[in-house]
Amino acid sequence: MASQKNTTTARALGMASMGAGIAGSYAGYLLQRVFLGEAKGKIKLKSTHVRAARRMADEMQALRGPAMKLGQMLSLQTGVLPDEVLAELATLQMEAPGMHPSLVRVQIKASLGREPEEIFKQFTSEPFAAASLGQVHHAVTREGQRVVVKIQYPDIRRAIENDFILFRTFSKPAQSSGHIPKSAIDEIEEQIIAETDYLREADNIEFLAGRLAPLSFVKVPNVFRAYSSDKVLTMSLMTGRHLEDFLAQRPSQKLRNQLGANLFELFQLQVYKIEALHADPHWGNYLFNDDAGISLVDFGCVKYLSPEAAAYLRSVCLYPGSTDSADFRRLLETYYKQAGEKLLPGARRALIDFAETFYRKVYPPHPDRNQLFDFSDAAFLRDFLSASKSLFRTKGVITEFIFTARAEMGLYQTLHRLKAHVPTSQIVKKCL
Amino acid sequence: MTSALSLFQTKGFDSTTTKAIARKAGIAEGTVFNYFRTKEDIALHFFEQEVDQAIASVRENPRLRKAPLEEKLFALVQAQLEFLAPYEKFIGAAFIHALKPASPLGIFSHRAQELRHRYVGFVQELLDESLPKNQHTPLSFLAPEVFWIYYLGALLFWLHDSSPDKQHTLAFLDRSLSIGVSFLKQGKR
Repeated sequence: MASQKNTTTARALGMASMGAGIAGSYAGYLLQRVFLGEAKGKIKLKSTHVRAARRMADEMQALRGPAMKLGQMLSLQTGVLPDEVLAELATLQMEAPGMHPSLVRVQIKASLGREPEEIFKQFTSEPFAAASLGQVHHAVTREGQRVVVKIQYPDIRRAIENDFILFRTFSKPAQSSGHIPKSAIDEIEEQIIAETDYLREADNIEFLAGRLAPLSFVKVPNVFRAYSSDKVLTMSLMTGRHLEDFLAQRPSQKLRNQLGANLFELFQLQVYKIEALHADPHWGNYLFNDDAGISLVDFGCVKYLSPEAAAYLRSVCLYPGSTDSADFRRLLETYYKQAGEKLLPGARRALIDFAETFYRKVYPPHPDRNQLFDFSDAAFLRDFLSASKSLFRTKGVITEFIFTARAEMGLYQTLHRLKAHVPTSQIVKKCL
Repeated sequence: MTSALSLFQTKGFDSTTTKAIARKAGIAEGTVFNYFRTKEDIALHFFEQEVDQAIASVRENPRLRKAPLEEKLFALVQAQLEFLAPYEKFIGAAFIHALKPASPLGIFSHRAQELRHRYVGFVQELLDESLPKNQHTPLSFLAPEVFWIYYLGALLFWLHDSSPDKQHTLAFLDRSLSIGVSFLKQGKR
């Protein structure tokens, strides 16, 4: 035990003195920006989270790394952040340092073997958007197709791994008490590290493009494999407006309702039918069109559910009987057992309470014809957050649902901003 | 020159003789001496080319003229490293030689000093372009000399970097230059 402790401490110290130096830490970069007051607009980014940014103190910058995802969990549990900020946190993006054109050129050449101007007919050296862990440039292929090229910041994977080594060491007490289960840290690290492999992202795009084909209102980009690698991803250009711009056009209630219903169906179909979902609810990852069409643009974070998890979700959603029944309790217990987690009495109560205070209201099991749920009232968001907090406090969170829960919170936040009225249960019934 | 570099890379700098260089180039050993007195001269000529070409690549790139200082400095170091990349093994050996006081390749030798002056002078030019002259501070007067030492450190980092496509070095250069330029600018306030 002692030697294990020493090894971990030594690793952390080694990391602190060497790895976390100039380039070895993602959090280090974020802190550098805060302390050196580096120009935030090093690259001219279209701010897709203006509102969120406005609400957050500058110090919160440090949460925009992998720590952000851990921070969400911690703050849910401790209640240190106001609910509104918590909800906004779900839609923030992990930022990477901006790259100047000379670094972009080197990164493309290292990855694809040629200079951008040799690969593309046109390549815009200034980025037009930030992407998770990198930035995005416009380009035109030799065949004349307009594409976007996502380029990863060098060595970001190692920086993230280093941060996790440090976090694991410092969070030992919380791990021992069971408040931050080791499995949860593993899940978060695994998912974030997966985001650093753009070839995996290309696979995600092609997988979801096939499965989402039945939804005519969803558009997914084409991948250009010949111009892609693990650090560079070339995709077709998608059209549409980000949420802020979409709302600025003052869309009609009818359009907002339709878009809300489409977003809702997109989420439910992924969870219940596809059993995999686009799990990064950052607003920059969705583009909205005037015909209520949705273009998806970033597939780094796709969560694949186990068949058991998907079956469990299908069985509890729209559960027709009483949530206080032995049958419902059995459903919960069976799944927790399958997932290898212990369902403590407190957590069971929290789950039943969650089903009663939130899901029954938002997803009535016996809806009237054309019954709509009004997402404009913030009360439902407060109910969701308060029930989530109880579940965290009672240690009832299943590791597999960490990303699904974040995506769900992001969905509700977007529906709330749209002030959409959505036939929730009818849509879910279609997807079951 | 190409034959010499190829031998330095494959056989090692110390084991390569001028005779072997002449044989590889298909010329008489005497002809080699017409251009270079020793193999160290050949190596120095190579490093002069490295610096001159890197300076030219930054000077002749119209886009870089308006680029921020950290990008210009990054482009300079990156051009040097790209020039050196095919001969990485030899650079390691040359680095050790450069630390020996009596070596003609040594950092205090006459020709190496000339090369350093040329390099430092160019860095000074880049600083002057980016930072207004009337705001000079002791920090900015020292900066070009400090940059030379920084470059040697970056070269050592690059030599030890076994990451694919030298990703560690790219991140190190970008982040350290960004911090360095920030400090330089803050010192001028």
